Amino acid sequence: MVTTGSSLGTWDWRSIVSNMFPLLIGLSIIVLWAGITLENAEALLEEFALLAVMVPTMVGMGGNLGAILSARLSTRFHLGTTSLDPRDRVLWANVLAIFALAATIFTSLAVGAYAVGVVIGAEIALWELLAISLGSGMSIAFIAVVFSFVTTYVSYRLGIDPDDTTIPIVTNIVDVFGMLIFIGVSTLVLSG
Amino acid sequence: MGVKEDFWGIYRESLPILLVALFGGLFSGLVLEGLVESVERFPGLFVMVPVFLATRGNVYGALGGRISSGLHQGLIDPAFEWDDRLVNAVVASLVNGIGISLVIGVITWLALLLLGWEVAALYELVGIMFIAGVLTSVVMIVGLLGVIFAGFNRGYNPDNLVGPIVTTLGDIFGMLFLLLSVSLMEVLVT
Repeated sequence: MVTTGSSLGTWDWRSIVSNMFPLLIGLSIIVLWAGITLENAEALLEEFALLAVMVPTMVGMGGNLGAILSARLSTRFHLGTTSLDPRDRVLWANVLAIFALAATIFTSLAVGAYAVGVVIGAEIALWELLAISLGSGMSIAFIAVVFSFVTTYVSYRLGIDPDDTTIPIVTNIVDVFGMLIFIGVSTLVLSG
Repeated sequence: MGVKEDFWGIYRESLPILLVALFGGLFSGLVLEGLVESVERFPGLFVMVPVFLATRGNVYGALGGRISSGLHQGLIDPAFEWDDRLVNAVVASLVNGIGISLVIGVITWLALLLLGWEVAALYELVGIMFIAGVLTSVVMIVGLLGVIFAGFNRGYNPDNLVGPIVTTLGDIFGMLFLLLSVSLMEVLVT
């Protein structure tokens, strides 16, 4: 089934697996921290079922925002159009767009979760959902922006193509922060 | 080009993709809500959820990126046919996707043991991950290739399709098959 590796080069399945599997194990160990946070919050999730509905988006969206920004930054580095100059106005447009996207998405998440709550009969007020979703969402967006800048810049300086390894690392680390911040903010809002 | 045009350009370009991801996330959140009661039967289940979902993105994001580069370079054809490169890429993602699922079961069990928390039996966690990993891999590979090929043949840039497809399909099918796998395991061990 599998022909000799030489004609396939980087498409040989053994070379793909041996390149990727160690990275996958490393990333899994990082994200395990998010899982342990979730398991620890089981009582909170049982009391407030709607929180569970918000978990996948909370965990994934920070990574999505980080991936969008990192991809744009790395393209600009490849094209040689930026030197991380704070006076570079296109950089600010990128950052502002990320925060505007975060505000839109996390407002929609709160409204969406509230609608789900009406259907399944869960009781969290809309303002509490907005406080949880926007409070943790905007913090996650801030962390995603900082991590995207730092890792894209460092990998560019080290001569590593950010498209290959940096983006998965950024998105997985931001996922972990997403879970920690979400559970923390939820506890704060709902126990008050 | 002023800051304002750049800002709106990026916003408009990215919002549809993120909204699709939001709907996928809300749906898989509903499934996760249905899993809350099973955590008492299988302690450690919730530890595996974020790790399982994250690895779907890592493995199939890489497969999608590779396929879309291959299509751009003319190395593979946009059709389900016996092509050595395509077969190797699919085999690699099966090995990575199923292999890492088993690893997640093991490291979750070890981590909870080290923390001194209550944890299900090793074979239960690994079994749940194995069933969910196999089912998700098959659906993700067929679905991802199908959408990329169809999109490519209609003139869409596959680079713009991979991210949202992987996030949305991965969240939805990852959680659905996790729920199915937990239900199967509940039947098997009782």
